Amino acid sequence: MLKSKTFVKKTRSGGIMKIVREHYLRDDIWCGSEVCTECKQEETVLQKDTYIESNLCSFPHYLLPDTNIVLSQIDILEDPLIKNVIILQTVLQEVRHRSAPIYKRLKDILHDKEKHFYTFTNEHHRETYIEREQGESANDRNDRAIRISTKWYSDHLNNTPTDKRLKVVLLTNDRGNKEKAEESGLLTYRCKKQHTTVTSVPQDETAVLTSNEITSSKVLFPEHLPLSRIQSGIKSGTFQQGTFRASRDNYLEATVFVHGEGDDSTEVLIQGLQNLNRAVHQDLVAVEILPLNQWVAPSSVVLQDEGPKEDDVTEEEEEAELKSGPSGAASRKPTGRVVGIIKRNWRPFCGMLFLSQIKEATRHLFTPADRRIPRIRIETRQAATLAGQRIMVAVDGWPKHSRYPNGHFVRSLGSAGDKETETEVLLLEHDVPHQDFSQAVLSFLPKMPWNITEEDMAVREDLRNLTVCSVDPPGCTDIDDALHCRDLPNGNQEVGVHIADVSHFIRPGNAMDLEAANRGTTVYLTGRRIDMVPELLSSNLCSLRSSVERLAFSCIWEINDKAEIVKTRFTKSVINSKASLTYAEAQMRIDDANMNDDTTKSLRGLNRLAKILKKRRIEKGALTLSSPEVRFHIDSETHDPIDLQTKELKETNSMVEEFMLLANISVAQKIYDEFSECALLRKHPAPPPSNYDILNKAAKSKDMVIHTDSAKALADSLDAAQVDGFPYFNTLLRILATRCMMQAVYFCSGMDSDFHHYGLASPIYTHFTSPIRRYSDIIVHRLLAVAIGADSTYPDLMDKHKQSALCNNLNYRHKMAQYAQRASVAYHTQLFFKSRGILNEEGFILFVRKNAIIVLIPKFGLEGTVFFENKDKPSPKLIFNEEVPSLTVEGHSFNMFDKVKVTISLDASNVQHQKIRMSLVEPVISGVSVAPSEPEPEVKRAKLDR
Amino acid sequence: MATVQVSEAEKVYILHGVRDDLRVDGRGCEDYRHMEIETDMVSNTDGSAKVTLGHTDVLVGVKAEMGKPRPMVPDEGYLEFFVDCSANATPEFEGRGGDELGMELSNTLYKVFNNRYSVDLKSLCISRGEHCWVLYVDVLLLQCDGNLFDAISVAIKAALFNTKIPKVHISEDEEGGKEIELSDDPYDCMRLNVENVPCIVTLCKVGHRHVVDATLQEKACSVASLIISVTHKGTVTCVRKVGGGSLDPESIFEMTETGKRVGKALHAPLMELLQEEESLGKKRQKVGFLG
Repeated sequence: MLKSKTFVKKTRSGGIMKIVREHYLRDDIWCGSEVCTECKQEETVLQKDTYIESNLCSFPHYLLPDTNIVLSQIDILEDPLIKNVIILQTVLQEVRHRSAPIYKRLKDILHDKEKHFYTFTNEHHRETYIEREQGESANDRNDRAIRISTKWYSDHLNNTPTDKRLKVVLLTNDRGNKEKAEESGLLTYRCKKQHTTVTSVPQDETAVLTSNEITSSKVLFPEHLPLSRIQSGIKSGTFQQGTFRASRDNYLEATVFVHGEGDDSTEVLIQGLQNLNRAVHQDLVAVEILPLNQWVAPSSVVLQDEGPKEDDVTEEEEEAELKSGPSGAASRKPTGRVVGIIKRNWRPFCGMLFLSQIKEATRHLFTPADRRIPRIRIETRQAATLAGQRIMVAVDGWPKHSRYPNGHFVRSLGSAGDKETETEVLLLEHDVPHQDFSQAVLSFLPKMPWNITEEDMAVREDLRNLTVCSVDPPGCTDIDDALHCRDLPNGNQEVGVHIADVSHFIRPGNAMDLEAANRGTTVYLTGRRIDMVPELLSSNLCSLRSSVERLAFSCIWEINDKAEIVKTRFTKSVINSKASLTYAEAQMRIDDANMNDDTTKSLRGLNRLAKILKKRRIEKGALTLSSPEVRFHIDSETHDPIDLQTKELKETNSMVEEFMLLANISVAQKIYDEFSECALLRKHPAPPPSNYDILNKAAKSKDMVIHTDSAKALADSLDAAQVDGFPYFNTLLRILATRCMMQAVYFCSGMDSDFHHYGLASPIYTHFTSPIRRYSDIIVHRLLAVAIGADSTYPDLMDKHKQSALCNNLNYRHKMAQYAQRASVAYHTQLFFKSRGILNEEGFILFVRKNAIIVLIPKFGLEGTVFFENKDKPSPKLIFNEEVPSLTVEGHSFNMFDKVKVTISLDASNVQHQKIRMSLVEPVISGVSVAPSEPEPEVKRAKLDR
Repeated sequence: MATVQVSEAEKVYILHGVRDDLRVDGRGCEDYRHMEIETDMVSNTDGSAKVTLGHTDVLVGVKAEMGKPRPMVPDEGYLEFFVDCSANATPEFEGRGGDELGMELSNTLYKVFNNRYSVDLKSLCISRGEHCWVLYVDVLLLQCDGNLFDAISVAIKAALFNTKIPKVHISEDEEGGKEIELSDDPYDCMRLNVENVPCIVTLCKVGHRHVVDATLQEKACSVASLIISVTHKGTVTCVRKVGGGSLDPESIFEMTETGKRVGKALHAPLMELLQEEESLGKKRQKVGFLG
């Protein structure tokens, strides 16, 4: 049967067009149910036995949600317990229209065979198609279509034999719709009612959206301006647009990063709840700059939102305190207030439930793991079950009369403190893609058993006879580099760096390539590795293991005695590594005069050259920086850390590093020469002089001057900075210097003009040597392969805008991977201290804050904050001098680099933010410092202090 | 135009008949042939109608498009006419054969509608001097069996009656930029007042008398005819003489009077019919082109 759909629409040119579409109605659309005997369907989706146990409906039934239910309760629908749901085409179309991400999620559910979700194309069914009536809005029409279809289903399923009879339950939150549906004799429930009674799904009921929002007559926040006002404001310059960044340390403070023209971007300071005006970290907001006389300086107070405050008195006090900060005109910064939100950047947040004090309360506060996210109020009846669990919560909105945003529970990640759960949280919070590789990705893996084919050999140089070996940290399975060195007849030496040829396996544009490009990097957590490419490649086919033939991309130099490069060439090759060594093993071979095999000779040659290279590099002004790095000894069974030590660097570490740098630089030069517009390079910008303020102040406190005008000057003055009897001082200075540095970033050569790598003092640099764990290297490999004619190019490779977009993603992923790594180390440090109990250690003051000092414990590479203010104790007298900087507590002044003694313990009072608590032991200040803790039982110490 | 060959004897027969107010097909001189009207025929127009008069078959579609008002009348919309003489109607129209007739017909239509009373052009204005509705009235001749003018005019009136123009309103933002907004309800549309839209009555001078709605045979006997467009009140908006022969003033006067009378009599049942069809709404049985 033919119908036509008519609608009018506005064309882009402003005209108005009437569009008529043919719409065919059919008789052969089946209901999809197993019980149905009438429909001549080949496959059924909806099961005969439906297992949603519910107090409300004791009989078997199918669910039929309306559009709003799908939009707001997609989390519930995704729950594996919800099965046998009919999704009407009307609903599907509306969802698609209203929210693309939810539509995608719904489609995913529909494709999941286990879920038994059936799409009923009611719009094309002869009996369920309806036309919009006069005076009926599009929504009303759709609601009616849903009711008609529900009716059809009920009648249809009534025709089946009685013993198998099923019912259809319409889910809607719309009261009007519910009433109308009940009038026509349909079973209708509001989603909330339905699900609170689903007995077998305990966590579900909490996910129910709070429809009656927490209301209070008091308006706490100013209204947000409408988007049109914001846009005109931005156009006229009264407002600024920027990314909102909440402060980690102070919940009443944030900055808005305003992107200006070119490099001209500024930061606007926002202080106080009213001015923050419900913006959440990472939102795109519009700010209004306050008049000059209201500008303030960023406070150096560390403030944490300590839970629900019934009265706002304390908050006002805190705010007052905030404002009484240093008001020196110089330190004032542009200050503003948020007038509107342009784009929310809400994602589901991980965190924990903070139980309400009132028993039987259903509204609880949720504390996100990320301190920059405000607490979220959710409604749940399962608080008791959820307490102690890590949960995910999505934000629904933040009304102006609510102190906290409202949200709903999404899913539970597991109990807090559990290592699996904590790692999951860590990965989620840092946006690290860590799902298993999809079937589509795996389909692009080479078939096993894999062999090097004749064709491969024909286009590659056969270097299998060379004495190639790899040197890596112990336990490394993704070996992406190997080296060789041999004497040439003319007295020069040939040095080769062989890098795993990952780009041979990952072809541009396929699913595996896209996945790798998205992941950007392999993430190494303590005790776990999240691969960028599937394991078959990373640990087997690409890994340059010993005694197997592997494909490689080789960079081969002819180097003379003074370590000067005479000739460079690049080639795709086949190698056969003779040995895969650890740094320690390699070092041992070099040192052992009795060993004189080819591999050892090769290593010695490399080591000799590397020393010359390093010396030359440092002369040029490359920086040797320091950051306290720790390594855990992990118990092989419990996977708990049993000991930790700072990383030790051997000569061989720098040997490998030196040749990797050389290869990277050579490749960078080559690809830039070949493709000046689209080479993927890495730069490290010189930090602005103001970054060095803290370093200068620190050096001054020890009567030293650090020259920061160039990398060379900095390197020299860092070398010269020694204090007698304080050997660790130099390291401390280097740690500080590291914090002054900018982040090194990938970029596309066609989009930038500054290529300099500050830290390495190299005019050009890229990443070539770790394609297994970094996507940037894969791109560089492809570029180099094209440059030497070993591979063909593809359009995206030569598109500088696409390259640039890729670089942005890679930079983001690298940053997040670093944060995740740090968080993982921090978590394991906590585990470690948990097992060790309370310790007394010596440390050095790294920074001085207004109400705290930050202490570094060299032994553990651990940094912690010692607070001088305590909630339950009267605050000691604090005088903060920003210029030095120094903090005087009850007459004793703390300066940077002062040696202090602290007790370290694990503060587990807040399970979510378990933190290392440090308290002062020495110097002794009455009322501030604490007595050193009791030593631990001898037995335990003996074992752990090895 | 489509013509038929009529022998002298036939002519005499017709002439005598007309003289006695009895035409070949049994009608009186002021009677129309059987007329069928159906509206809303073409879904992708904003209004359409098909009129069958004897074997004459005319389809009219009205398309409303947005345009700029004419500079002389900034607060009015306007109508455009186009007559397409399809070769379906008669083989003579093949190629460019129908162009001349089409032009003549559309020119006549411009003349007929060239007054302030027939259509309320002000209602077609959206924003003064900037936007107005332009109604493109496209006439398609499907079959010619005489009296095209009358059939076309009735079809146009029916099509205009059927026309639904989507409602738009203009919103102004702060900077004074104007944005045209379209209602999302397809039923929310504007209707034209067609009360004053004139109908054309063609009077053929046959012998000493004149006939309404002449067949091709009668036309062949006539030397000249008068086209009169008449509103429902009997106001004449346009008079044209067509054909090679001449008309004496007295018979012009007589013909005009007849035209007014017949025209008035034509309007009333036409409007009634259109209202009735409209009131049926969706229940109306569509006949279509094959019916």
